[in-house]
Amino acid sequence: MAKMILKDNNHPLFNTDQMFYKEFPSDFRQIRYFTLLIVQKAPPEIKELNLLEQQISELIKNAVKHGNKSDPDKKIKVWYYFSQEETRLIVEDEGKGFTKIDEWNDFNAKRQDCLKNNDFEKLADYVAYTTEDSDYHDGGNAMFAALEFWNEGVVFTEKANCVAVGKTYPRKQKGITIGD
Amino acid sequence: MELKIMKSNDIYIIDVNGEMDLYNSYKLKDLVIKMLDKKVNKFIINLNNVEYIDSSGIGALIFICSTLKKSNLHLYISNIRGSVKKVIELTKLTGYLPLAGTVQDALELLKKV
Repeated sequence: MAKMILKDNNHPLFNTDQMFYKEFPSDFRQIRYFTLLIVQKAPPEIKELNLLEQQISELIKNAVKHGNKSDPDKKIKVWYYFSQEETRLIVEDEGKGFTKIDEWNDFNAKRQDCLKNNDFEKLADYVAYTTEDSDYHDGGNAMFAALEFWNEGVVFTEKANCVAVGKTYPRKQKGITIGD
Repeated sequence: MELKIMKSNDIYIIDVNGEMDLYNSYKLKDLVIKMLDKKVNKFIINLNNVEYIDSSGIGALIFICSTLKKSNLHLYISNIRGSVKKVIELTKLTGYLPLAGTVQDALELLKKV
């Protein structure tokens, strides 16, 4: 089945046990700084830390900009967990929620069809998901990459102002013997 | 992010240096729009010195690619590597964006058009 953004209040990715917690004001200028404060907890063994930082930054940006409309009186709440095997993250804002999840999934399914058929002419209509809320700076492609990157899923609450994501990393081979 | 323009005959190479993120990716779009006003029609965007790109940066590349395609102008994006390559792969745009291995490859391709 094609990958989709899910809506499920009871999804295991919303379990905050063992997770760290931070909250931030909705300051657009500090999105990358907030992201670094979270990513610094990641073990150095994780490869492609740049990519992890970017993927986390997208979710924080969505919460600050699209959720809280960069209103400094509104907070975003972030729960996060890192190990060598797994990264999990929950980001909650005080906005109205991502109400167009069904529409987004439908758009993404059409995009996937274009990719499957190598129809790059038609793909031009599906390279960016934009709404009346989008501006000159919005790429409209963050969640396409998110669904690929977060291999444990991208799940919103029913209210859709809170998103949980997870990624597992392939286990390293153990038992390397050095010397005799 | 710093943008440098170099020229090889009628081909313009935009050398992007630094991070293409939510704060600065619009600069690349603005630059290309300005160059279009000056009737530039062959572009190379060299990403060799870009270590970080986010959805705004990818969005800028899509915008530029789509704008130039609509006007039948020519573009190659060269030297994608590291996390830039990864993000483009995750977004599944490797077939959509006109990618070239190196600036030299892109120059050869553009000389033929």
